[in-house]
Amino acid sequence: MAGDARVLTAHGLGADRGGRAVLDAVDLELRRGEVVALLGPNGAGKSTLVGLLAGLEAPDRGSVERSGRVAAVLQAPALARRTALANVEAGLAWWGVPRRERRRRALRALETVGAGELAGRHARALSGGEARRVHLARSLAVEPDALLLDEPFAGLDVGSRADLLYDAASVLRTERRTTLVVVHDRAEAWALADRVVVMLEGRLAAEGSPQEVFERPPTPAVAAFVGFVGRLREPGGVLWMLRPADVQLTTDGPIEGRVVRQVPLEEGLRLELDVPHGRLVTIVGVPGPAIGELVRVRVEGGVRFDSAATLEGGA
Amino acid sequence: MQFILDGLRGAFDLLVAGDPRILGVLGVTLTVALWSTLFALVAGLPIGLWLGLGRFAGRRLGLATANAGLGLPPVVVGLVVSLFLFRGAPLGFLSLIYTVEGMIVAQTVLSLPIVAALTAAAVQGVEPALLRQARALGASRVRVAALALREARVGVLAATIGALGSALSEVGALVLVGGNIEGQTQTLATAVLVRVSAGEYAQAIALGALLLALVFLIAAALTVAQQGEAKWQATRAS
Repeated sequence: MAGDARVLTAHGLGADRGGRAVLDAVDLELRRGEVVALLGPNGAGKSTLVGLLAGLEAPDRGSVERSGRVAAVLQAPALARRTALANVEAGLAWWGVPRRERRRRALRALETVGAGELAGRHARALSGGEARRVHLARSLAVEPDALLLDEPFAGLDVGSRADLLYDAASVLRTERRTTLVVVHDRAEAWALADRVVVMLEGRLAAEGSPQEVFERPPTPAVAAFVGFVGRLREPGGVLWMLRPADVQLTTDGPIEGRVVRQVPLEEGLRLELDVPHGRLVTIVGVPGPAIGELVRVRVEGGVRFDSAATLEGGA
Repeated sequence: MQFILDGLRGAFDLLVAGDPRILGVLGVTLTVALWSTLFALVAGLPIGLWLGLGRFAGRRLGLATANAGLGLPPVVVGLVVSLFLFRGAPLGFLSLIYTVEGMIVAQTVLSLPIVAALTAAAVQGVEPALLRQARALGASRVRVAALALREARVGVLAATIGALGSALSEVGALVLVGGNIEGQTQTLATAVLVRVSAGEYAQAIALGALLLALVFLIAAALTVAQQGEAKWQATRAS
């Protein structure tokens, strides 16, 4: 990738909190026009990374190069005690946009995220989903060279989350805005991103296209995080990790297992099975086998790691 | 009882007659109160923002000092300011002792901690995430400070009311620095003191009534603005 295509580059970024490294040796590039999804469990250091990339805090180690201006949408949708429109206009004022342009750009940004009708509504009269839309519009309006979104869908109900996700995906993908977006689940990453970065325990643990990362995770820890929750230790020590969809209950299956846990889900019954050399997870229709019942399963797919691989360690 | 009624009747006559001496005292009172409040706001708002939002060593000590300043004994402030302004004192060359300007200096010293401490308390209540978000969208320190003041405007108005009220009713510091010279440095509050000492109760009551009316009017105007804002916010939030 040509150097001039990089909008944001982090070199060996590290940050400490309370004497503990919460971010360590992070190297990351954000290239012009791409949307990158940053995934990781709680406490992985995602928000800290966003703060450092946005320049809100100075790193304890490493550096950030920016070729252009970077705006961040932080996790909390904090709005001033004004109307939605005035909030977006305030964002433009902070960014340094001349007064005469603010109204037009603010209205356009609100329309873009489906919040045009909220323009005259006071911030305190907005629902959680509406406040999130205004929060997002405020940053889209400034049209930065790179946009950092920290969990833009956090705290929303399922319906609002899906609506905002589709609107955001449409804007980011159509307008090819250079964006790093912190998301919590794989569906959001699929919808939004050209590239996925997984962070575990303060380090970058995987990077690639959504297909690469989700289908061929590079380490057992990443595999577990992206949904390969079943595991079998094969002869020779090879670790075989499987998603629920890779495990089928069948009377002539080659592996016998005992149901040790069952959790009802919308799509069926989630079963955990104790099998020789491991534990598998699958989803079956209701009514499924009872706890303690012996079942037979067939496994296909999944990912294998050599004998040295363990689930410990993020990278 | 008759004595009070006579005083009130005399006060009414004096006010209706528009006694030029009383108008003069009113003018000095307003001059000292408005200028000292203005100076206290100019200096106190940045200090309050710094104490309320800053992250630096000694911030708690600064907050404690500002809060302690709310209880500054006016007589002591008047004494210290006078000691600096007397002829031959370090600031004697400014010739401010026994002048309205000197009184404004003394009153500003008294009002400054009121503005600083109440502003610091008000901006500490502003949602930190909002200020951080403003910074994430490129807001300068000045813009972040302006946002904090705007969000904390109900509290900042309370600080202004406090500073104005203190200035309108101050006696000790202003007598020491201004000398309570009739027709020159006498305010409504210090004039009441003189009239009572001289047994001129009608005049004292007239001046006291005028002072109360003034305090009430200014405080009411600011309170209407403050509570109008608070009510508007509450209505919008419901």
